[in-house]
Amino acid sequence: MSNRRAGANRIRGPHSALTDFLAANNISAAQIRDDYERRQREAERDRNAGEGSAHQEQKDSSDDEDAALAQAAAEEASKKAKKRKRGEKEVIEKIKKAKAAEKAKGSKKGKKKPKRGESDEEDDDDYDDALARNMYKKAKPPPGQFEHCEICSKRFTVTPYSKDGPDGGLVCTPCGKELTKEAKAEQRAATKKPVGRKRRKVESDRLDGLTHLGSKSLQQLCIEKVAQHHNQIDSLGDLPGSVYERLSQIFSKKRVMNPKTLPVFLRPDLDKIAIDDAAYLEVDDYKQIFAVVPHVEHIVLRNACQFKDEVVEYMLEKCDNIKHLQLYAANLVTNPMWQELFRQAGPRLETIQLQWLDAAFDDDTVQDIVEHCANLKRLKLKLCRRITEETVKLIPRLARLVHLSLQVSKHQEVGSESLVSLVTTNGPNLQTLSLEHFVDADDSVVDAIHYHCIQLKKLRISENDYITDAAYEALFTEWQNPPLIFVDFNSTRCLEENEPAQAIGLASKSFAALMNHSGSALKHLDIASCRHISKACFMEIFDGATQYPDLEYINISFCNSVETTIVAGIFKSCPALKQLVAFGCFDVTHVVVPRGIALIGMPTAQDAIEQYGMGIGVEEAIGRMVAVTG
Amino acid sequence: MRDVKAGSSEYITLVSNDGFEFKIQRSSACISGMIKRMLDPNGGFSESTTNVCKFSEINGIVLEKVCEYFYYNEKHKDSRDVPDMDFPPELCLELLMAADFLDT
Repeated sequence: MSNRRAGANRIRGPHSALTDFLAANNISAAQIRDDYERRQREAERDRNAGEGSAHQEQKDSSDDEDAALAQAAAEEASKKAKKRKRGEKEVIEKIKKAKAAEKAKGSKKGKKKPKRGESDEEDDDDYDDALARNMYKKAKPPPGQFEHCEICSKRFTVTPYSKDGPDGGLVCTPCGKELTKEAKAEQRAATKKPVGRKRRKVESDRLDGLTHLGSKSLQQLCIEKVAQHHNQIDSLGDLPGSVYERLSQIFSKKRVMNPKTLPVFLRPDLDKIAIDDAAYLEVDDYKQIFAVVPHVEHIVLRNACQFKDEVVEYMLEKCDNIKHLQLYAANLVTNPMWQELFRQAGPRLETIQLQWLDAAFDDDTVQDIVEHCANLKRLKLKLCRRITEETVKLIPRLARLVHLSLQVSKHQEVGSESLVSLVTTNGPNLQTLSLEHFVDADDSVVDAIHYHCIQLKKLRISENDYITDAAYEALFTEWQNPPLIFVDFNSTRCLEENEPAQAIGLASKSFAALMNHSGSALKHLDIASCRHISKACFMEIFDGATQYPDLEYINISFCNSVETTIVAGIFKSCPALKQLVAFGCFDVTHVVVPRGIALIGMPTAQDAIEQYGMGIGVEEAIGRMVAVTG
Repeated sequence: MRDVKAGSSEYITLVSNDGFEFKIQRSSACISGMIKRMLDPNGGFSESTTNVCKFSEINGIVLEKVCEYFYYNEKHKDSRDVPDMDFPPELCLELLMAADFLDT
């Protein structure tokens, strides 16, 4: 192709004795001229910046400010100079600026012309200095010539792409690449993260309910940094268990909980192992957990997909202290193995929480639980596809049950009688009762709760369109139970379009009764989709005067009757409010959110989907809202 | 109302285990629950009178970063979308232990 050498088509200018001499001493006149002109332009620019601030000095009268501004100008100019990596340059510029600043400081008002004169002098000085300096400086050889790399002293061919070295000479290609890499790394460290990625993270945090007014805690920052550098961590040392748990949560969230990072979390003296996403862990990793931490009492493994029979065997062999077991999605464990597990470990177990079991785990397995786990206090069976009404009938035999959470599959029919007998038997002991998606449950269940449950703290009945408003009202009227702390009645409403003859689900009367009964102690209130609650009812309950001192979380999504005044009332009535979720409330507009509250789900396009409180108090926020809505 | 009691000077001193001393504002340091309690005049600790807190498990480099965090936190107290403070990853674990100890 091109077998012309790089230097072959170089244009040669006139030869004179001077140019020959310069060339022989590796000085290029053209180079000098270019450098000088470039420097002129830059100096001019800097001087304009310096003059700009100098004019401002003349306007101010105090000397201190003059000095400060001059200093700032000098610093700014010197900063610009530094970027150009010419060591001598910086010094010259600094001196010039300091001189200019001194002169400017001393000058009285209106002395513009003499300043120009001074600049001219400085021009000349500059020119002389620069020319002299460049005469003795090593000139850059033009492309095609050989040159020694400044960094590694290797010989290489100069090309138009050769990079400048730190002292003004040229560097070879590999060193040049390294320099650009370093420069880029510096740049990236200096600038902020791209706006899109950071905003998404901030929004994700907000939707998690963490309102970040101000900076994160130092622990949080460190934990995130550790998660970022998870590859390089060998062990966590002597940190308390809570830090381990938080760290494992973040690792799981970032999907870096894998066989390599797992050992970091295993310490022989831990009594709780909690892994929120064990999807990457295999059989050997589970075995490792039990080998390293044999005295573990509390096991939480979510998304434990590879948790197989042999792991259960190993666990039973090694760990004889397990009291609390939470396994989500452990679908590879077979029924006989479940039976073995409950037979051997049953008497010790106090907590069993199982979710997402499709392949195995049916009524017979529950039979085993009931037979062997006499001490069971906490039972959660959700989304286990094979269990039927039989399970509900078996549970009453667990006499010590304190916390019960059930959700059977959509396709199973569970009649009210079994639920009633369940509540009747276990009711007096229960502190938590959560019955999700029991579509066939009717008023008798709620009646049973009223009569038999006297210690409940947490109550959830959701996704039911059968139980009537009257029944709920009866539940909360003159109920022996102390005020509830956690209430969730989401999606209890009529599924048909027209208003039913008799109010279904949690409607106005029962909501009023609920707040009457539990308002003083309630922390968490979820009434999403309870669309039969009327506006008048909301206004009466959240009227701003009645105070609900502990209420921190409210979910009123899809309650169409809610509007802005009600939200204002909520802000006023709930001094401890942290989060208000209101998706699908189309009459709520122009909300001004007070300090410390996160409002999630605003429908209008102008409002952000989550807004959270600026630094204003509740009174002021309400005042502003009233002014807007009139 | 400026308090002229001996125990409420505006600046306090934090001392690391290798002898480095850091003088920082009281308001910034009290972001740490532990330091706040140490300096509380009602707490009965001697630090409340001397205004000097000695930490025998935290070394100078880590303590310096901690002080930097205190000022960073106070500076961004009321703003949102605060950029994270930068620190070298090697320091991370010791800093985490210190943060946990200081409850900050």
